[in-house]
Amino acid sequence: MSGNAAVWGRVRSRLRAFPERLSACGAEVRSTGRGSACEAAAYGRCVQASTAPGGRLRKDLCAQEFEALRSCFLAAAKKTQKGGH
Amino acid sequence: MLRLTRVWLLWRRPPAAGVPAKNLGLRKVASGVSPPGSASPRALNIFDRDLKRKQKNWAARQPEPRKFDYLKEEVGSRIADRVYDIARDFPLALDLGCGRGYIAQHLNKETVGKFFQADIAENALKNTLETEIPTVSVLADEEFLPFRENTFDLVVSSLSLHWVNDLPRALEQIHYVLKPDGVFLGAMFGGDTLYELRCSLQLAETEREGGFSPHVSPFTAVNDLGHLLGRAGFNTLTVDTDEIQVNYPGMFELMEDLQGMGESNCAWNRKALLHRNTMLAAAAVYGEMYRNEDGSVPATYQIYYMIGWKYHDSQARPAERGSATVSFGELGKINSLMSQEKKSQ
Repeated sequence: MSGNAAVWGRVRSRLRAFPERLSACGAEVRSTGRGSACEAAAYGRCVQASTAPGGRLRKDLCAQEFEALRSCFLAAAKKTQKGGH
Repeated sequence: MLRLTRVWLLWRRPPAAGVPAKNLGLRKVASGVSPPGSASPRALNIFDRDLKRKQKNWAARQPEPRKFDYLKEEVGSRIADRVYDIARDFPLALDLGCGRGYIAQHLNKETVGKFFQADIAENALKNTLETEIPTVSVLADEEFLPFRENTFDLVVSSLSLHWVNDLPRALEQIHYVLKPDGVFLGAMFGGDTLYELRCSLQLAETEREGGFSPHVSPFTAVNDLGHLLGRAGFNTLTVDTDEIQVNYPGMFELMEDLQGMGESNCAWNRKALLHRNTMLAAAAVYGEMYRNEDGSVPATYQIYYMIGWKYHDSQARPAERGSATVSFGELGKINSLMSQEKKSQ
């Protein structure tokens, strides 16, 4: 949306690949060959648990789950980069 | 919050700001000028209107504008239904914030004689949808209408008033350009719209960054809407709400669609940057908290439909006090009373 359409197009195409990589980290437990691939669900559950009465959401409360999600996401990114375009 | 309530109190101080005689005298000076003493307290500046124009222009210039039109088409067709429900013809009508003209395509020449379509984005006006009614496209801001008093029989507005800074003034302007016995039909987003997105972003930002800033714009509450319409001078008001739930594959698709609709955030207090980690976290939270059975995520759009009439002598008014001929206690005998009346007639 800014002046440089090429930059914006590049950034947007990177962003468009996010949903596919996120689905590789599983929003729900799927019967994949390996173990449970649901880092996103684990992170979501951790944050949701803090919204229950008595819980308090602070910075980096679910840092571990987020690191797991992020590394899974980066692994999926590397895989798609190697395999496809 | 405190600041907002003070603004409303200040605005109530001028005695009965809806006094017709006083307003008429001042309004003859220039169209759209509001009476002095009420301009500054209610000049809220939440949205950057210039940026909103740029966003709408960009959205209208996309290669496939129809891809993102589904919500506005749906609400436009529901508003057109409500126009048909009114047993009247409207020689001259105005569509405020028309976008590509979603309402006009459903109406016919008999119901609406001529249609003025006003929007702040010229690209949207250049790509208007097909309609059989003769239309005139006007580049106008919802808060500064360039029309004379008592011009239109019908004013419609579909999903554009939620970006208006000074909503009381916009409604007053609409009331001003309407003829007596004219009707205003509007649709606005309500308070529950996109609550899933708002909550997910808030939780993810708090967890990742330690604080959060608003990403979904503030919406009007339904009670306030009734009050605002009443203050603007409309009578016989009706406000009803409707919820449309759209399912998306994930949060990123929802955000892309919102941008494609021209509904990106343009509040002055918006944060310029949304970190990728935060977006990733928010998508995970959204999926976990609100996911449907089939893996898609819902997004709720709550729409308030409002209808208000400009006063005219022919409109029904409450009866004079003391003019009752029958007492409420005789309600059980209403059948016999009515047959008596028929016999006497």
